[in-house]
Amino acid sequence: MINEWAKNIARFFVFLFIQVLILKHIDVSRFINPFLYVIFILMLPIRTSKAWVMIIAFATGLTIDMFYNTMGYNAAACVFMAYCRPAVLKFYAPKGEYDTSAKPTIQSMGLPWMLSYAGTMVFLHHLVLFYLEVFSFHSFFTTLGIVIVSGITTVGLIMLSQLIMQRRRI
Amino acid sequence: MYGIIAFFRRHYFAVLFVVLEFLSLTFVFKDNYYHQAGFFNSANSVAGSFYKTYNDITSYFNLKSENTQLHEENMRLHNNLAAIPDTTKHPKVAHDNLYGQQFNFISAEVIDNSTNQVNNYITLNVGKNQGLTEGMGVISPSGIVGVVIGVSDHYAVVMSMLHKNYQLSAMLKKGGAFGTITWKGDDSRYALLSQIPMSEQVNPGDTIISSGYSTVYPKGVTVGVVEKVEPIPTQYFYTIKIRLSTNFKKLGFVYVVSDIMKKEKEELENNVHNANNGK
Repeated sequence: MINEWAKNIARFFVFLFIQVLILKHIDVSRFINPFLYVIFILMLPIRTSKAWVMIIAFATGLTIDMFYNTMGYNAAACVFMAYCRPAVLKFYAPKGEYDTSAKPTIQSMGLPWMLSYAGTMVFLHHLVLFYLEVFSFHSFFTTLGIVIVSGITTVGLIMLSQLIMQRRRI
Repeated sequence: MYGIIAFFRRHYFAVLFVVLEFLSLTFVFKDNYYHQAGFFNSANSVAGSFYKTYNDITSYFNLKSENTQLHEENMRLHNNLAAIPDTTKHPKVAHDNLYGQQFNFISAEVIDNSTNQVNNYITLNVGKNQGLTEGMGVISPSGIVGVVIGVSDHYAVVMSMLHKNYQLSAMLKKGGAFGTITWKGDDSRYALLSQIPMSEQVNPGDTIISSGYSTVYPKGVTVGVVEKVEPIPTQYFYTIKIRLSTNFKKLGFVYVVSDIMKKEKEELENNVHNANNGK
């Protein structure tokens, strides 16, 4: 149990650093703007109470906002994502119920499950974040393009991170 | 009473969602111009010192281009200096100290910067202790960078020119027509100059400079050059695409512009305001 806590806290810092030091400065195209840090919220244990997930998501979002100078934008997106998490988990639940030992990882749930779970959650997060940032539907399709391309990049990075973590057993 | 408790018990998750989302959105819509909150931005000691440490390590990789840029700036300043006629031989020219120098420049180093967001910000390693206040302009050796929107003791947050709320009063160096510069959120190399009347002659390659109408920047700081001119048929104005002279992807050292007469101006304005209210 303590081990699980330590792992989650370590994950928070590792992905925070990756986000604000590396991903923030990737400037290939404005369509590629991944927010990998959401993996931390995705990987909170399935049995974590939904209220806790939401509070943790809010705090995580605010921390990212502090480094991005986007006061409240990431927090709003993360809270929305956390609100949807129970429904998304339920929707993709395997026949019966989640095992008590089930973790939201490729290793535990398999690649198709992880892809659909991460894909849905990331899409919800990016949708709120990017439309809030533009705050106009003037460039509706451009923003949608940014949501989709960045979303795919984020999901790809999440899968990659999980494979690396799996190999290192962290 | 029990009804209320029962309601919250049943819907606590939805209530929590509404409360946190409302809080976040309050931050979002309060944030739109100046960072009044002051804490939750990269000027606070946590984020500021974090970026500074990182920059101390990585800044070595840019020394070469930084040097070239400074050398070019020196050359330009030398040329300007040589072009100024020697006024000491004309003792009748009145020297008024007040108008001798209106702006002071504070050297600063960029410790964090982004160019790929819809709204980009820059973090500087100077703050209140070095005399920075909100509303001061920031320029680089090659052109305009942005405006200070938040300060802490040792750090400052700058709204980059690459920000949807950024506006700059600029003019054509040749002809002197005034317009407004905005950024459309697409490419960090280009911006838009609007409100230049179609009666003006504008050609690609013309230089755009700051107008100096506000106290934020001195007059005549380079903004960029005209890239493409498009007349809007239904209106009487051009839409001009300009290539920015500042390379936002390679910002190293910058200057914060402090208007010496700003305080005087504000005091005067306040006095007038108070006098009017006192009636």
